[in-house]
Amino acid sequence: MNKEEKLFLINIKSDKDAEIISILGGQMVNKRLSDLGLTPGTKIKVLRRAPFRGPIEIEVRGSKLVLGRGLASKILVKRYE
Amino acid sequence: MNKKKLNIVLAGQANVGKSVIFNHLTGLHQHIGNWPGKTVEKAEGNLHYKGYTIDVLDLPGIYSLTTYSIEEIISREYIALRKPDFVVNVVDGTNLERNLIFSLQILELEGSTVLALNFVNLFKEKGIEINYKKLEEILGVPVVPVAAIHGKGISEVLGRGIELVSSKIKPKPLKYGQEVETEIKKITEFLTDIDLPYPKRWLAIKLLEKDREMERLFETEHPEILKKVKESILRLEEIHGHDSTIITANERCHLASEIVKKVIKITKPSKLSLNEKIDLLTLHKIWGYPVMLAIFALVFLTIFKFGNWLSSVLEGITAGWQMGWENIFGFSILASFGWMAIKSVISLIEIALPYIIPFYLILYLLEDWGYLARVAFLMDNLMHKIGVHGKSCIPLMLGFGCNVPACLSCRIMETERERFITGFLTTLVPCSARTVIIMGLVGKFVGIKWAFGLYLFAILMIFGLGKLASKILPGEATELIMEMPDYRIPNLQTVFLQTWFRLKDFFYVAGPLIIISGIIIEGIYLVGWLPSIANFLSPITVKWLGLPVITGILLIFGILRKELILVMLATLLGTANFAQALSSVQMLTLALVSMLYIPCIATIAVLWREFGWRKAVGITAFEIVFAIGISGIAFRLLSVFW
Repeated sequence: MNKEEKLFLINIKSDKDAEIISILGGQMVNKRLSDLGLTPGTKIKVLRRAPFRGPIEIEVRGSKLVLGRGLASKILVKRYE
Repeated sequence: MNKKKLNIVLAGQANVGKSVIFNHLTGLHQHIGNWPGKTVEKAEGNLHYKGYTIDVLDLPGIYSLTTYSIEEIISREYIALRKPDFVVNVVDGTNLERNLIFSLQILELEGSTVLALNFVNLFKEKGIEINYKKLEEILGVPVVPVAAIHGKGISEVLGRGIELVSSKIKPKPLKYGQEVETEIKKITEFLTDIDLPYPKRWLAIKLLEKDREMERLFETEHPEILKKVKESILRLEEIHGHDSTIITANERCHLASEIVKKVIKITKPSKLSLNEKIDLLTLHKIWGYPVMLAIFALVFLTIFKFGNWLSSVLEGITAGWQMGWENIFGFSILASFGWMAIKSVISLIEIALPYIIPFYLILYLLEDWGYLARVAFLMDNLMHKIGVHGKSCIPLMLGFGCNVPACLSCRIMETERERFITGFLTTLVPCSARTVIIMGLVGKFVGIKWAFGLYLFAILMIFGLGKLASKILPGEATELIMEMPDYRIPNLQTVFLQTWFRLKDFFYVAGPLIIISGIIIEGIYLVGWLPSIANFLSPITVKWLGLPVITGILLIFGILRKELILVMLATLLGTANFAQALSSVQMLTLALVSMLYIPCIATIAVLWREFGWRKAVGITAFEIVFAIGISGIAFRLLSVFW
């Protein structure tokens, strides 16, 4: 049960919490996301996913952000209960 | 009276109510221009307060953009180098943690800073309590609660700022984790003898973050310092296991969340907020789309109804003016030119008042309300298919009203590539002038189904060309990153001011061109060259497109304003019953070619201004060739089936 399972943010269902493990991708992506408060260890909640493989809306540090699907599939997370 | 001058800047992330504060401070005493050589807006204004003349500069909202965005660099260079008397850092109090990450970066620049904590009016509803005094103590700068929308707290911000100026208190540096601080200290020591206008600690942090702009300053003169920095970076990366760019950002996030824990108390309301309830519908994976369509149908319908009504009223008012002019000034050549100039001005007003003003008002209303961000969310995937992301559907929709504001609104796109693709595509959107042709010619005489068919064709073609453009142009599509703002009651002052300043833009850009080209065409008409031009164009118009010779004249006039094609057609045929002179296929072909063959002169001017003359000419040339090509093919295909 307690085994830590790594998966991408894009695979987290709506209304579920997760914790960022790391962000794949270059320095640019990393810096930009961290400026928005998305850093390893940050807890986030997936609010909703747009249909047709669209972007996802998350809640992080008390504010809501929309991330494109490509970005969300670069963010490695673990489930958080 | 003492004439003391102060120079202040507003800085903050997007959606923190910065422009509301700016408008409140400066009202109509503001000037919106561009940063030299950049397509980033620069808003300046001034006010008088307690004997001071205060110049206010609204720094571009940061964060909507990529890492080393122009906006970010403009803002930090301005604060670091121009050293304003004080910085007003506008912060969304309902989003304190994330906003503080940015504030910490502002404070690192070591200018006098006042923190304007906005949206305190929403605290109660959201169950937020903030200990302002404590936040002040921790940050070492004045913290002023502000409810910008009600104008509350804004003069106190100025008051506290002026106090700061006389007391010369600078923010005290906030400390990061020990390992990072050790390296910052080391680098700062190497920087002691370096003569650069930036604060040393800030410079050290930026070097640790591998900031390209700052590294460049050292590359030739002091490569040894960069070497030392490299060592620090390696040490840090070893400890933390992350790239150093993230380490400092991480530290800032951590610091922000520590501060927030100390000053904020949130009691989450148990029931869903109104905002969440609205979003359950507007962002719903199925219902979100019909709601969006309904909202935009309503918007377009309102604007077309209002526009058609107002433009017919305006036409009624100006109908007798030509006669009046001729009665006074006679029929001399000079009088004709004079009339042409006046007619051009009238035509400008006839575009602006009925179509552009309502469009801007509604756009900014929807934006300020928060809905446009929802549209971007819903449309992102579709837009990715043509190489741009969700936000580009906003300029495209605007294009249905008028291509001019649509092209201008492409500024919301982040990268040059996306701005250009979106700008190009907006010029192909059938605007209200083209709607006049489609409806008046095809809708009336061929059938409404065919008119809608033309629209559908235009939309499909835009997708096709978008796909093509995104394949040809180098670079990758940027991913959508944006904040999802809460719905809020739009601030009318902001909406009106935005509309007013954009309208001024339109008159300055489009005005001179429409007048000058109007006079030139009148000149060509007066010397009797129009028939020869029509004949000259006849290999294209008659042979290839299968249209009457006079089409050449129509297409020349259409450059000015597209709906002139229909007006001139009626004049030249001597009847408004076009079915007498043109076959159905000819009407369809004429409508198609009119729709696509060139952006109107005002749009070309905006393209020129936004993307440079090369790209403006390129788009224009492409569309001429493309439209003629595709319309000729359409003519042949339609002739087979008709």
